[in-house]
Amino acid sequence: MIRGTSWKAALGVTAGVCVLLPFIVPQYSLTILIEALIFGLFAMSLDLLVGYCRLYSFGHAAAYGLGAYSAAIILTQLQLPLPVGIVLAVLVTMVVAVPIAWICTRSTGVSFAMLTLAFAQLGYAMLFRFRDITGGSDGIVGIPRPSGPLGMTWFQGKTGYYYLVLGCLFGSYLMCRAIVRSPFGAVLSGIRENEAKTIALGYNTRAYKTATAALAYGFGGLAGALYAAFAGFASPELFFWLVSGRVLIMVVVGGAGTLIGPILGGVFFVFIEHELSQVTDLWPLIFGSIFMAFVMFAPEGIWGLLTRRFNARPELASADAGNETSDAAA
Amino acid sequence: MILGFILAQCLSALSQAAILFFIACGLTLIFGIMRIVNFAHGAIFMLGAYVGFTIVAVTGSFLLSLLLAPIVVGAVGMGFERIFLRPLYGRRDGGAYLLLTFGLAIVLSELIRIIWGTQPLAAGIPDFLRGIVVVLDQPFPLYRLFLIALGLAAAIGLWQFLERTRAGLLIRAVSQNAEMVHALGTDVDLVRTGVFGLGCAMAALGGVLAAPLVTAFLGMGTTVVIDAFVIVIIGGMGSFLGSLIGSILVSFVQVLGAYYFQDLALAFMYFLMLTVLVIRPGGLLGKED
Repeated sequence: MIRGTSWKAALGVTAGVCVLLPFIVPQYSLTILIEALIFGLFAMSLDLLVGYCRLYSFGHAAAYGLGAYSAAIILTQLQLPLPVGIVLAVLVTMVVAVPIAWICTRSTGVSFAMLTLAFAQLGYAMLFRFRDITGGSDGIVGIPRPSGPLGMTWFQGKTGYYYLVLGCLFGSYLMCRAIVRSPFGAVLSGIRENEAKTIALGYNTRAYKTATAALAYGFGGLAGALYAAFAGFASPELFFWLVSGRVLIMVVVGGAGTLIGPILGGVFFVFIEHELSQVTDLWPLIFGSIFMAFVMFAPEGIWGLLTRRFNARPELASADAGNETSDAAA
Repeated sequence: MILGFILAQCLSALSQAAILFFIACGLTLIFGIMRIVNFAHGAIFMLGAYVGFTIVAVTGSFLLSLLLAPIVVGAVGMGFERIFLRPLYGRRDGGAYLLLTFGLAIVLSELIRIIWGTQPLAAGIPDFLRGIVVVLDQPFPLYRLFLIALGLAAAIGLWQFLERTRAGLLIRAVSQNAEMVHALGTDVDLVRTGVFGLGCAMAALGGVLAAPLVTAFLGMGTTVVIDAFVIVIIGGMGSFLGSLIGSILVSFVQVLGAYYFQDLALAFMYFLMLTVLVIRPGGLLGKED
């Protein structure tokens, strides 16, 4: 891991570059940039489960879809100010997540993956049941970005919205980083490495896993809400299991258990997909092959590979020796 | 009249169950032996449909495609197991298989798109199965009866294979204790490859049979794989009989739900699954891990 001052410097430089980007890139690139940042946030939220609890959720589309639909309904029906609407959507997603997570965390491994998948598909199916609220297969279109509170309108334009998304991403990252480094996060690592031992130490691991899932859903819901308000529509595809699969790929290729890796994975995949799909229609084939290669040969992901190289330097190797062995055991 | 209508609906559900069973039994066999959830099973099913279509187009014989397509696809499955899955057996992390087979699902569907194109391929029902049978005054397609018969034959055949043959004995033994079987001098890797191939061949057979009903199209695997997961989870992962029961349950819920509760048809299946899981976390006939 990059530590201390160098980490702060790197974060500062990245933040600076991100803040300056709207002045550098043309307006039309800003659209894809915003989508990339939203997907980075979405991938990072899943990393809380995959990377820190080793719970492979195959239903994270539920978080995205829930956030998007809650925001869509709140913004179109109630006309609340955009930031209020987004916060409410996140809360709704987290509240819904708690019972789902409680049921899903009853199992681990493959059964957990299948249960989360079932819940996401159930959500997908319910969209068609409650057609009058959700719009059925048409989804909800024409989602506004109402102004306020305090007469704020800066987020209504594209550049302003970019800063809103950027702020959400940075804020969420700092929060997630604090979470995984807290005593709470240490218990999560304990669950990942040896759940039986963690239980024997007196921790109610299921409560920890449920809380983490609710947090992961909250951040995922934030991504979904940001997307719905940006795109102006919410469609049933947001709930479909292919979204869950895609985001899981981004987490694994980016580097599960690093937070930064999945963000980069999400951002770059949206970019590469956008660029390559204009040149060749073979993109999904390449995408799938790269993913398979990573699962087989580099399960630690891109960021894992990079930091391992970084850590291989002699002066840093000793500081992270403990970390390395636990990673190798995983 | 009412009775005839109900019977027709039941037969329709059973023919659907036959197709789902072909997919689900392979999925559950593979899981039972290898603890692998094969996410690519839907893509394998689709591959079966396309390969079957091509064999019919070249040879003109539907029966030949029923025989050859599973062999071809089974071989593809065995190759995949040999090259990609085997190196991962040492890894403690079960999620890796899930991810790898998900990658395979993407790659396979893309290869199918590149080879066969994006147009749906209408594989007609072969002439000798085209007729209509009247059951209690209700007309019923002969092809669907053929599906039920074939599904039943496959279920009995596989069951006898697992119970009565030496290969079946080995498969059951490996699913119970692979290390012990290995220690007794059996090539466990060979059993695994064989079972993976068998599971893929069954899915391919389902694909060939489903193609005349729904036409072969890209994406026919993405929904069906989820149905198969639901079936396997309801029945109990790794339980052969469970996959049969699950197939019948799910197809009845699908067919009756689509007729009587259209809005809820999709959700019904997942409700059924969640109910089973909350009451019996391991599925109806499965063991809780």
